[in-house]
Order: sequence, then structure tokens, then C-alpha cells
Amino acid sequence: MPPIDLQFTDAAVARLGRKPEAVIPILQALQEHYGYLPEEALRRVCESSDITPASINGVASFYDMFRFSPVGKHLVRVCTGTACHVAGAERVEDALRRHLRIPAGADTDANRQFTIEQVACLGTCTLAPTIRIAETTFGYTTAESIPDKLRDFLEHEAASSAVKSTEELRRSVGNGGAVEIHVGLGSCCMAKGSDRLFHALRENAAACGGNVVVKRVGCVGMCHRTPMIEVAQPGKPGTFYADLSPSQARALVQRHFRPQGLLQRASRLWTRTVDSLLLEDAAPQQEVQRFSMSKRDPGVRAFLDKQVHIATEHFGQLDPLDLDEYLAHGGFEALAKCLGVKLRSPKSEVRSNSEDRNPKSETASEQSAIGHRQPAIAPADLISTLEQSGLRGRGGAGFPTGQKWRVVSQQPGGTKYVICNGDEGDPGAFMDRMILESFPYRVIEGLALAALAVGAHEGIFYIRHEYPLAVKRVRAAIAELEKRGWLGEKLLGGAFPLKLSVFEGAGAFVCGEETALIASVEGERGMPRLRPPFPAQEGLWGKPTLINNVETLALVPWIVRNSAEKFATIGTAKSKGTKVFALAGKIRRGGLIEVPMGTTIREIVEEIGGGAAEGRRFKAVQIGGPSGGCVPARLADTSVDYESLREVGAIMGSGGLVVLDDTSCMVDIARYFLQFTQDQSCGKCTFCRIGTKRMLDILDRLCAGKASRPHLDELERLARQVGAGSLCGLGKTAPNPVLSTLRYFRDEYEAHVAGRCPAGKCTALIHYCVTADCTGCTLCAQRCPVNAIPMTPYQRHAIDDAKCTRCDTCRVVCPHNAIDVK
Amino acid sequence: MKGPFTISLDGSPVTVSDGETVLQAARRLAIDIPTLCYLEKCGPLNSCLVCLVKINGKLVPSCGTKATPGMVVESETEEVHEARRTALELLFSDHVGDCLSPCQRLCPLGLNIPVMLRQLEAGQLAEATATVRGALPLPAVLGRLCHHPCEQGCRRGHWDDPAAIRDLERFVADADLGIGAGAIEPVSRSVPPPPQREGTTTAAPSGDSALVNSPVADASLAPRLNGILPLPQGEGRGEGKGGVDQPSASPPVRGRFLPACKPSTGKRVAIIGAGPTGLTAAYHLARQGHAVTVADRHPQAGGTLRTGTDENVLPRAALDGEIGQLTRLGIEFKLGVELGRDLSLEGLLRGFNAVLLAVGEIAPGDSDKLGVALAATGIKADPNTCATNVPGVFAAGSAVRAQKQLVKAMAEGKAAAECVHLHLRGKAPRRPEKPFSSIMGRMEPGELRLFLQQSSTGARVTPCEACRGHSAKEAADEGARCLHCDCRSSGNCVLQHYAQVYGADASRFRAERRPFEQHLQPGGVIFEPGKCILCGICVKLCELAGEPLGLTFIGRGFDVRVATPFNRTIEDGLQKVAEECVKHCPTGALVFREKRGVA
Repeated sequence: MPPIDLQFTDAAVARLGRKPEAVIPILQALQEHYGYLPEEALRRVCESSDITPASINGVASFYDMFRFSPVGKHLVRVCTGTACHVAGAERVEDALRRHLRIPAGADTDANRQFTIEQVACLGTCTLAPTIRIAETTFGYTTAESIPDKLRDFLEHEAASSAVKSTEELRRSVGNGGAVEIHVGLGSCCMAKGSDRLFHALRENAAACGGNVVVKRVGCVGMCHRTPMIEVAQPGKPGTFYADLSPSQARALVQRHFRPQGLLQRASRLWTRTVDSLLLEDAAPQQEVQRFSMSKRDPGVRAFLDKQVHIATEHFGQLDPLDLDEYLAHGGFEALAKCLGVKLRSPKSEVRSNSEDRNPKSETASEQSAIGHRQPAIAPADLISTLEQSGLRGRGGAGFPTGQKWRVVSQQPGGTKYVICNGDEGDPGAFMDRMILESFPYRVIEGLALAALAVGAHEGIFYIRHEYPLAVKRVRAAIAELEKRGWLGEKLLGGAFPLKLSVFEGAGAFVCGEETALIASVEGERGMPRLRPPFPAQEGLWGKPTLINNVETLALVPWIVRNSAEKFATIGTAKSKGTKVFALAGKIRRGGLIEVPMGTTIREIVEEIGGGAAEGRRFKAVQIGGPSGGCVPARLADTSVDYESLREVGAIMGSGGLVVLDDTSCMVDIARYFLQFTQDQSCGKCTFCRIGTKRMLDILDRLCAGKASRPHLDELERLARQVGAGSLCGLGKTAPNPVLSTLRYFRDEYEAHVAGRCPAGKCTALIHYCVTADCTGCTLCAQRCPVNAIPMTPYQRHAIDDAKCTRCDTCRVVCPHNAIDVK
Repeated sequence: MKGPFTISLDGSPVTVSDGETVLQAARRLAIDIPTLCYLEKCGPLNSCLVCLVKINGKLVPSCGTKATPGMVVESETEEVHEARRTALELLFSDHVGDCLSPCQRLCPLGLNIPVMLRQLEAGQLAEATATVRGALPLPAVLGRLCHHPCEQGCRRGHWDDPAAIRDLERFVADADLGIGAGAIEPVSRSVPPPPQREGTTTAAPSGDSALVNSPVADASLAPRLNGILPLPQGEGRGEGKGGVDQPSASPPVRGRFLPACKPSTGKRVAIIGAGPTGLTAAYHLARQGHAVTVADRHPQAGGTLRTGTDENVLPRAALDGEIGQLTRLGIEFKLGVELGRDLSLEGLLRGFNAVLLAVGEIAPGDSDKLGVALAATGIKADPNTCATNVPGVFAAGSAVRAQKQLVKAMAEGKAAAECVHLHLRGKAPRRPEKPFSSIMGRMEPGELRLFLQQSSTGARVTPCEACRGHSAKEAADEGARCLHCDCRSSGNCVLQHYAQVYGADASRFRAERRPFEQHLQPGGVIFEPGKCILCGICVKLCELAGEPLGLTFIGRGFDVRVATPFNRTIEDGLQKVAEECVKHCPTGALVFREKRGVA
């Protein structure tokens, strides 16, 4: 191996600081630059900074993102989140390994082209199972499609200019009366090709020369129909087009816009003619028509009708980074009110607002923001408002937000911190990612209000590194505000100083726990400590620290703007307002939804989500991720609020809602979550470090058909002890998935004791065989990756059980449904 | 809050000052809350969680929980104990090491075999004698007749041949008795010295390790031994048959080891039957300070040891020598007397505080003779307490159930002695618990090789036919073959201690074991990562001392381990605080190597 160039290391240390707490950003920089952490570089860091060898080794080995050996040319991240797991992520990884010939225990192929890495959750749950190769995310992967995806990637890679960034864009400005095309550009939309569609639309719009603006917006919520656009014409209801591909961009543009100029018209005509010649199907008009839908479409209505958008207000309408647009929609009104600065908003139109605004210069926007002073709202009143609203923390535990603010505000001392907890680690949850990607200014406003209320002048966004787009957009939003002079010495031009920064997590679920998060920011291993003292009393650097979840903060500006009373009218007696859920799993309409507290599980699953797939039976929902539980279908009328969910053995959690059907094995689900918490345990306290491992041992035995009845009793007993004895929330709640499945699905556990997996999921307990329906088409034999099916044309095939790896390929490819799983 | 305030600990009010933790308060009340990761200097590390207490319905670690006014703390409740026990059991499920060596665990009498072997290796015969004779009576007999389960478990046997444990026990015993090849005294003295009796009995000064070889007139002992068996029926009969065991006026035997006995309790125990079970019980009861009288229907003590063996198998010099040692401990023998003929249970119970029936296998219909109820296999006795249906009367050994193995019969005697002892102290009798030990199980050859690094690689030393046992040199060579499977911290280990106190079950959670690792360091530190419980004390001590490299936690979750940064050795990390870390390690993960040959 060639010697390591240490100049970068020196530069990184110089840039990021020599203090002990710089260790994580420095390691991130080294990892990014070298692809791994070369020991020479680590030593160099210790020599040239205050970072000790013990610290750098301890920290680097704690977080998932750091590697100690070089990786192949491309990193393939296999998402193992809940939705991906139930959708067959294991088979996908097996297929990847088979295809790349990477043996178990190794992670890189012989040519050092690809390195496989499991990630806890990519947060693109509605596309499950998902893999990410380098920067490109691929959804709906199957064992079958893996070779294609890799080829696809390499081809794009060869074309080099594969995908243009959508992040450098500035606002597109049209003339009066322009038609806007909104393209949702959240990470999951992009994984399905929205970015390519966006560029194609732009090119075509430009070519068409019409008065049309192609506009980037945040998440549209309906992940199951993306890439999706909305065509918004002044004075008309919007038209949606769903499931589009970039090749349809031209047809779309032409359908809506009369081209200007003779040449273009001729071209349009020509295109139509050519298309009708080339396309077997029909004219592009009709081609596109198939994808259109309106808000009155029953599916869309069912999806949207029950929703109330507060944290996701104006979803699908706003360009995430367009500050003026945010201002035009009431953005920073709440903060301005509290600061006592008058915010003159630039035009108050809501829709198609971009057309009659002039391109802005910096001075212009500054003028628009700073007006004359108005009486400020006292922090105490702000806190009272929060208390009256009944808002409770959306991170999972549901602690009253106003009360938390009050405690921090009452702490003596001048230095306090506010932290936005964006370490959304629950597999199967992506609400916070979506909110940060789509509404960065809203979360910033929420955090600024919190800072104002408690008297903090420094705020930190802690965002997990698995969410690169969220990090990018929040950074960009902060930079934009700084550029306008609205952050730093003068928040919104007022007298209150507030400095904001982004701290990227390094891959550790436990850092969502607030004391672990603080340890992480302080440059330590993310190990929780005993509370009390609570962070509100002794937090970051020993100072009072307020930590709120992303969604919580996103709700705050709305409450301040619309009054606590209005917020409190939504929801139930004890759980006020709305909750954002990531709806995924075995469901027809997955996506991101915001519903009032008190909505029932049935309404969410069956009305909004459209129920289980054709022919499948809705069995349970997993709510709350690794800390939550499985609520069986028979309790689907349970209202979604903190108390009701706790009663049935689940928790609100951060809002992952994974629907399970009759093909999901509940023992496997329990094992999946225990595997997750076991992987993510910090390893500090005995109950969590070893207790979850021993629970996992028993679950492994169950799934392998090697458990006996006493194991079930021991599992339950140990689960209760781990829950009671663990130091932090991670360990205390880790047994919930086990306890809730034992409570509602004990029969499945007993079936496993008897050596059966009723759902046909646990590979050690199932067998594939060919039924009499086989016509001898040989397709299964051709596709079997391990040659377990001898080719016997025109005769019924047979599967060699010893060779079979249960990859499911034969069942998927069989055109006659002649593969049976027993 | 300022100034002292009160909290409630298990219902008792305690005054605490501001800033004090629940643990500190409990310790002042002498409530023994267990801790592994707590060292005042390091502050609460909150990792082991065996110090849990219940406050406000929640289990919290007491070491890190500050007392607040009016706090109500539960510590010694079953629920809290169960949580602590579970924490310990979880730690053991991932604890790669044995507290006690397999040989010692397999020895029904619990002889600390590895220590004996190391003492022999070092030529410390007197110490080895104390080890053996301090643990069991009749080692010269066992050293010949024991079926040595210890050797079956000896890890050395998985490599080549097990250590010759039984032969070495015999070597030690014979040397002490002055018989056999290794005898220090001339072998010619094959006739055992006359045993001690009334008034001339030796008593040991207190202190287990003391080598007792000088008779100390213990005034308190003399009177308790003055009494004659109060035998209303049997008096006169058999007295004269006492034959061999009749006392003579020989001076006390010098050079022989007598273990220490506790001060007299004033309680008297009659043991019926001078076979292996009875003799062993007598030995242990005498050591507890009770006045013991052993009666047997035979003219000589020894029971089946005498009737079932001949000179070739068990030289009489050895047997008589051992019985002589028991006499010297103050045990009185009453021979040629038989229960039901010369003695009655009622009579015995009038003169003694307890009676132990160790009469060997009994014939059907002996019930009347014995005066206790019988079961199908023998005397009906509670398996947990050795108690018969007659209060104050206990039974053990083949009298209860036929014992096939000598050492087991003796172990039964030891267990019965413990029951009788508890009874005499007014407590509920209960068999002694097995000493706690973590169990590593079978080892891979690679793991054995680690143990071999510090042992003699020589083959098993077998003395020639003509020799009557190992020579001192041979014994040392054979002792050097011991692999030192026992933990260097055993007996000094906090984890082991609380496991015993809390009755932890080391094998509650069966799991795949990690490989055994041992890092022998040139400076004498031994690091055995598998024994580390990640308490964090050493990591913190390094940090406090500003170690240049120090130790750190590597990894996350179940795979966290303590290591020196950049894969350096443990001693590289412990340049300043090695001694402190070894001292405060709550388990045997960090220890200093003793000089080979010094136990």
C-alpha cells in the first residue's frame, strides 16, 4: 500500500480544531478523504492536537461510519431497516454477495470494485428493500434484480454525468401567470428518479419556451406514487401526475403548454407524429394521461383526507431552500413576533407567488425583513403558550415540551444550549429526515424560538450522517440566514444573538438518547449516563441544555403563530396536535403522513394506507421501532396517542409505522429488533450489553427451531429484567418488541418451538417445493442462483432442499405459482 | 438543599448530607450493597448495575443516585436481589474463566489442588501439608484409595496426561506421617505413634495458615474431653476391647501437622461409626470447637477402611497414623460399643447435644436397634439437613444410602458435620453450598497452549514400582505440570464473592463462549480479556493519571473490550498505574503473575 499522504490530515486538524471535541469531525473528514481511517493519520492527529490515543481509538471504533481498512471502489450500502427487513433485505444481501462472489466474513469483492456494508436504516422505507451504491439509492430491489442494478450503476458511472445535482439551484423565476410544475425532491423521491425527471422537465420547459417554471419542492408524502409532480396553474386546481419517468417529461410539458413560436409548434406536431409512429401504444397525450390524477381521485383523497398538516404545512408546495417563499407563507412570523421585530413579508400570496416578484438582491431581502420594533413576547409567555398548547415531545417519550423549556429557562447561569435532535435512528422511520429536507427554515425557526425561550445563544443541529441531503439543506439554510445577517449577533436583525451549527452524527442509534447525544457532541463515545442530572440541568459542557426532536420544533412556529388554543383543539385530551408517521411495510399506499392525535390505527392502515396488498391479510403494525411494539390487527381501533399506545404495549416512538401482513413472522420481527438493539447497544451497562444478547440468543434458537418451551419463559423473564435494570432508554425499551409479540402472538412462538414458522419466513424452518401445477417451463431452473433445481423440460421440476438457500427467486419467477413454501 | 436530611433505607431512617449517594448512605448503615464498578476515586461509572436499589418503583444504580430529602429506598428485598443476581448471572454468561480449577470443583471434599501442586513445585512441603490437612482428614488414605475424579477433570489430561494429583496427595500425607518415599522422618517408624488423649491433646492456635506442631495446653479443651461416654447400657462392655486405641503415655508427636480448631463451644457430639463418613464428620466438628466422641462396634477405628482393605492396598501405618492425627485433634474414640446393644439413642441424647449416625450400610430391620425410622435405602434422613425423624439425631453416609466411593462417603460426613454444627449453633441445619465458580467448559487446543506457556512441558512423573511414592524432586516436577487453571483472583475477587453471596447461577444463560485469551506481559501483568466485565475502572484510572497511551474501550455493544490504543500491549498502556489497576480490578482480568513456584 502506498504511503499515506498526511498533508490532508494536518489540514483537517488545522481546519477543524485541536481540541478534544474536534475528534468526530476530524475522523469524518479523514474517512471521507481516505475512504477509511489509516492508522498513520490517526497517530498524526494525536501528535498534532489535544486528542488522545485513547479517545481517538475509542471514538473511531464506536461509530458505524468509521472503517479501519480500505474499501472497494464503490460502497454498496444495504439498508436493514424494518421495512427493508420485512421486504426481504437479507435475500438482497445474499444475492449481492453471490453476484459479486463475496464470501461470508468478507465485505469486498476480489476486484475491489464493491464493498458491501449494512446500514441500520437509509430512511427510504417506502422503497423497501433499498440499497445505496455510492450516492445513488435503488428502491424495490430483489434478489432477481441485483445484477441489473449493479449494471445500471456501472453504466451511469461510466457516463459520469449520470445525475446532476438538484441542490445548487436557485429559484426559478417566471413571468406573471406562469404555470408551476412542482417536483418533489426528497431523498426517497430522488431514489425513484425524481431528480432526473426534474432535469428533463426543465430542459423541455426551456425548449418549449412557455411561461412555465419547474420548481423543486420538498416531500410530497405520497411515496408510493413517486416520481410525482403537481402542475399548478393560477386559478385552477392542481393536477397530479404520478409514477412518471424522465422520458415522459417532454410529453408532459407539451400537454400543458402551448409552445410559442412557429418552430416549436412544428416541432410539437412533429413529435406527436413521430411518437405515434414509434410508440406502439398511443399518442403521448394518452400515454401521459394514464398518470394523471387529481386530488379528487379516491386513492389520493383517502390518502389526504384524514391528514392535517402542521409540521408538514404547505407540503409539496415550498422550495425547501427558498427563504423568501418561506417568509411569504408566514415563515419567521412567530419568531419575529417573539423578538419584537417587525417582519415585512414579501407579498403574501400563497400560490404561484414567484411570478410577479423581482429577482432579489441581498439588500432587498434585508430590507424586507427588518422593520421597526414591536413589543416582544416575553420568554415566560412563550413558554406558557407552549404549555397551554399541550405539545409533547415527538421523539418518543412524550414529555411535555413547555415543561422542559421551563426547567431549562429556570436554570441559573448565562450559558445554555439548545439542540435539535435529528438523530432519527429508528429503522422504519424517516419523518425527521423528511422535515429537515423539506422544511429546514421551519425547524430553524422552532429551534430559535426555543433558544429565545430558555435564553440560549448557541444551537446545534445533530443530524445523522445517513441523511446527507438533510445535512446539506440545513447547512444551506443556515448559510442563507447568515448571509442575510439573520443569524449570529442579531437573530432576525433583532437584539438577540444566536449562533447555529450542524453536527453530523457518525452512526450510532444510541445517540438519539440525549445524554449519549451530548457525549457525542463533546467528542466522546456515545455512551449514555445516568439521569438525573438531566440535560436540562447539566447538559452539554455541564451547562443547561434543551434538546428537542425535529418534529417537535417544526410544530412550534405554527403554535406561536396560530395560538396554543388552536393547537389544543386538535388531538385527544392528553395528546394534542398532530403526529407525523412514516407509513411503510406491507401496505398499498406507503408514505409520509401527518394525522391528528387520536386517529385510529385502522384509519391509518386501511383508509390512508389502503390496507394490505391484494390477497394478503393485515396482521399487525409495528409502532415505535426498536422501542415500540407490535399492535395486532384486532386492536386496530386503538387510538394513536401516547397513553393508548403504551397501554397496548407499543409506544408512539418517533413515528415509524411498519405494517405487517400474514407473510411477516412475528418471532422474526422480534428477533430483528433485538438484533438491532444489540448491534446498537453502547455496551456500557450489563443488562443491555449482555441481557439483550442473551435474549437474542434465545430468539435465534427459536428462529432456527432449536428452542424449547422453557426458553420462552426465560425469554420473558429476562425481557422484564432487562427492561427494569438497564441504565438508559435504549435498554429499558429494547424488550418491548419481544414482550408485545409474546403478548399477542404467543402461538407463533409456540409454533417455532414445535419447529414451524407459520408465516414461512424463518429459513431454517421452511422448505421450497414444486407443486403439480409445474409445466416444466424451466424458468426456475434457469434462475436458481445455486443450481438447486435440475432442468427437466416439460416435466415437473424438483428442488434439492440441501442446496436451496431459500432465496425465493423460483417462487417469484414461476409463471404458474407452482412453487410452494412449507 | 443544604444541610443534612433524612432518607429511608429499607425502613430505617438515615441522615445524609447533601451530595451523598444512596450507596454511601447504605454503607454507613452497614447494608452491603454489592458493587463492581464503583471506586470512589473514579466517581460513579454506572456500568455493572449490580448495585441496583428500588426508588419510586424504579430500579436505579445506587452508586450514581444522589440522595434527596424524603427518598424511600429498598435494598434488601427479593425483587432487588433478583435484579442484582440477574446482573451477576449475565456477567458470568460472558465470563471466560474458571474461578476454581476443574480438579478442585470435582473434588467432593473441595481440596485446593492447584495450590497444593504449586506448593510442591516450590518445595514448600509444610505449606502443602497445611493445604491438604486443613481441608480434609485421612489424606494418606485418600492418596491411596481415592478414585480421583480430580484427575479426570484435569485440563492437563486434555493435552497429555493429567497431573498425578492423588499420588501427590499421598506424598504430602506420607511425608507428614513419616511414612513412604518422601518421608522426612525415617521410614522405619512404621508403627503409628500412640494417639493423644485426655489432657495431652494438642490444640491449634487460631489462624488457619499456622503450622501447628507444638501441643498447646488449652485449658478450655481439657474439661470437654474429660467426660466419659455416658452409656447407661453399654458401660463396661467393650471398654476393654479398645485395644489398639487405648491411650499410652507417649509424648505428643512433633513434626506432624494439626489444623487449627476453633475455641471450645461446650457442645458435645456423639458419632456412631468410625468409618470414612464418621471420621470425616468428627474431624470437621472438632475443628468447629465441638467435643466429639466417636463410638464404633469394632475394636479399632476405621470401619470399612480397615475391614475392606488389606495391608497392600492401605498400609496400616497410614491408616493408624491418620486416626492418630484425629485423636490428637481431641476426638475421643469409644470402641467396641454398639448402638442398640451397648448404647441407646435416648441415652446418647441425654449426654450429648447431637448424635450423628454414620454406621455404614444397615440391614433391614435395624430400625429398632437404631431407634430411628428407615427408608428403603437406609436410615431415613432429610437430604438437605441430614436430620432423621428423631430431633437432634442426624445420619449420613452409607447408613442413609450406600456410598460406592470413598471420597463421596467422606464428603457426606463433611456435609453432615455442617448440618450438625448449624444445629448446635441453634440454626436451621443445611448442607453446605458448593463454592461458587465460573465454569469455562472444554477448551480448544489453542487455548490449552496458552496455559502451557507457564507450565512444565514434561511428561507425567510416575515413580518406579519399587519406590513407594514420589520423591520430593519428583513431586516438584509433577507439581510443575499443573496448568494453573484456577483464577489468580479466586478468593480475592469481588465478582466471585457476590456471586456466592447472591447464590448466582453461573450457567443460567448458556451461550457460545468466546475464546480464552491470556496476555502475559514481560513486566508481570497478566491480562485475561475474557474475564473483564468492562467496569471501566482501569480506563478511568489511566485517564486520571494522564497515562500517555492508557486504556480505552474499543468497539460497541456486546463486542466492547478494553484495550490499549493502536493495538499496543496492555503494559504499554499501563506505564504509571499498572499496580493500581491490578489492585482495583474487580475480577481476575488484570493480575500480576506470581513467581512460578510460589503460590
